[in-house]
Amino acid sequence: MIRIEDVHKKFTIGGTELEVLKGVNLTVEPGELLAIVGGSGCGKSTLMNILGFLDVPTSGRYIFGDTETRSLSDRELSTIRNREIGFAFQQFHLLPRLTALDNVCLPLVYRGVPVEERRARAEEMLDRVGMLDRADHRPTELSGGQQQRVAVARALSGRPRLLLADEPTGALDSATSKEIIDLFVSLNTDEHVTAIIITHDPDIAKRCRRAVRMVDGVVHTL
Amino acid sequence: MTAKQRSILALIGIIIGIGSVISMISVGVIVQNEALRQFKEMGTDILTVTKDHDQESRGKQTGILPKDIKDLKACCPDVGAFAPYTTIHEDMSFRGARNSIPAIGATESFKDIFKLSMTGGRFISDLDTKMPYCVISEQVAEFMKQKGIADPVGAELRYAGRFFTVIGIIKTVDEGGIRPFAINEGIIMPLPTAMRMPNRPESLTITARVAQAGSRDAARDQLERYFLERTPKLKLRITSAEELIRNMQKQMQMFTLLLGAIGSISLVVGGVGVMNVMLVSVSERRVEIGIRRALGAQRGDIQSQFLIESLVLSLVGGMIGICLGVGASYVFCRFSNWEFVISGTAIALGVGVSAAVGIFFGYYPARQAARLNPIEALRGM
Repeated sequence: MIRIEDVHKKFTIGGTELEVLKGVNLTVEPGELLAIVGGSGCGKSTLMNILGFLDVPTSGRYIFGDTETRSLSDRELSTIRNREIGFAFQQFHLLPRLTALDNVCLPLVYRGVPVEERRARAEEMLDRVGMLDRADHRPTELSGGQQQRVAVARALSGRPRLLLADEPTGALDSATSKEIIDLFVSLNTDEHVTAIIITHDPDIAKRCRRAVRMVDGVVHTL
Repeated sequence: MTAKQRSILALIGIIIGIGSVISMISVGVIVQNEALRQFKEMGTDILTVTKDHDQESRGKQTGILPKDIKDLKACCPDVGAFAPYTTIHEDMSFRGARNSIPAIGATESFKDIFKLSMTGGRFISDLDTKMPYCVISEQVAEFMKQKGIADPVGAELRYAGRFFTVIGIIKTVDEGGIRPFAINEGIIMPLPTAMRMPNRPESLTITARVAQAGSRDAARDQLERYFLERTPKLKLRITSAEELIRNMQKQMQMFTLLLGAIGSISLVVGGVGVMNVMLVSVSERRVEIGIRRALGAQRGDIQSQFLIESLVLSLVGGMIGICLGVGASYVFCRFSNWEFVISGTAIALGVGVSAAVGIFFGYYPARQAARLNPIEALRGM
C-alpha cells in the first residue's frame, strides 16, 4: 500500500546542510501493524512527517496506494491528510476548547460531512475506544490515557487508510501505555486498520507484527 | 493577560470607534433635519428680496422703501401674498427695567406668510396704520409677567422712548431658515409706525409667496424686472427657499462628512487593536493551527476561521457601538431640545464599516495563520 524508495531529506540550518534521511526504503502492506524503532535524532519523526504528508522528501519516491505523491500541491496534500491519514501524537494534541466529541468530529468538518452524520460517526468511534461516556468532557477534564483514546478516535473517525502514531505512549505511565497499545493491536486485528507506530520503546515494537529499526537516517529490517 | 481580556480591550476600541462615527453622523443628520424642518413647515414657494449688504449702493437711495412696492402686486402676477418688513434694534423700558430687543415693522400679511399664531389678543392690522400698537413675543410677555403684569395684552411699554400698547402675544415659532429671529425675541409694530421711529430703518425686506397658479421662475423674473425699474441704483438679492435649502444641504453634508471623518480616526485605532489581538491570537494558537492542518484543514479553512473571528469581534463591537452612538445622539438631542431621529444610513454604515474593519484588519493575521508551516506550527515554533 505504501512504498518509499530511496527517500532523502535535507535541512539547511544556519547555513549548514544536514541530511536527516539518507535513502530510506520501506514498504507497508494493507492491514499491517508496523513499528519503527529508533533513538532520538535518528530521523524517525522526519520520516513520520513525510509519511503523513506534513512534509515532502528532498528526493526519492513516495507511492501511496497507486498515487505517486511527488509534486502535489498544498491543497492536494491537505486533502490526502484529511482523507487517507489519521494522526495520533505523543502530546495528544486535542483542541482544549472543544469537547471530546467535537474533537473527534474535526476531520469530518474539513471534509464537509453534515453535522448529524459526523456526530453519529464520532460517537461510534468514541464508543469503539471506550470513551463514549466522556463525550461531553473537555480534554483538561480527562486523564492522559483518556485523552490519547480520544485522539485515536479522532484519527480514525475519517476512516483513513493509514494510522500514524508518533510516540503514542511517550507521555503515559506504563499501565496506561499498555492499554493504548492493546487498543492499537485490537484495532489492527479486529478492524484491519493499517498502522505505523513510531517509538523508542523495544517492548512496544515486540507487540507489533513487524518492526524496523532506524539508525542514522536509514531503515534496517529486524 | 488572557485572550478574553485582550478581546474585550479590542472590543472597546471598536465600540468607541463605531460609537463615535454613528453619533457624529447621527448628530449631523439631526442638525440637518432640524434646519430643514422649518422649511418643510413654511413651504418652498417662498422668495425673499433683500438689499445686498455686500455691495455699496450708489446714489441717495439706501434701500427699498414702502413707496417702491406700491404697485408690486399689479406688476407681478405670479407673486401671491407678500410681506414687506423691516427690523430695528432699540431699548425697551418697562417698569424701570431696560432691555435691548429687536422690533419688526410689519403689515397684516406678515402673520400668514410666516405662519404665526397668537396666544392672546390680535395681530397687527393694516387698519392700524401708524398707531403705537405692538404685538409681543412670548419671551417679552414672560418678562412683563415677571414684572407683575397678569395679562400683558392692553398694557403699555416703552420702546425707543415711545409708548406702545400691547395688542397681542405671538406663539413662539421654530427658528432658523427664513423666519426673522426677532419674532421670538422682540416685538412687532405696524410698518408705518416703524418707518417713523427716531432711527428710521434703511431698507425693507420683502418675503413673497408664489401665487397659487404661478411659477416660481416667472415670479422671480417679474420681481427682478420690477425692482430694476423702480430702484435701478440699488443692488438687490432675490433668494428662494429652495436655494437656501440646497445651500444648506450642501453645507450640512460637508459638516456630516467632516464629523464622520473625525469619528473614523478612532475607528482606525480600534481596527489596529483588532489586528493586534488577532496577531497575538494566531501566535498563541500555532499548535491548534498545526493540529487543524494535520487533520486536513486547507489554508483557506484556517484563513476563514481567523477572518470570521475578527469579523465577529468587529461586528459585536460594531453592534454595541451603534447602540452607544444612537444613545449618545439621543442624549445630545434631549439636551439641545432637538427632534431625535434614528438615522438608517448611519446604522447601515456602522454595520458595514465594522464588517469592513473586521475583514481589513483581520486579513493580514488570517493570512499569516494560513501560511504557517504545519510541522513548525505543531511544534509550537
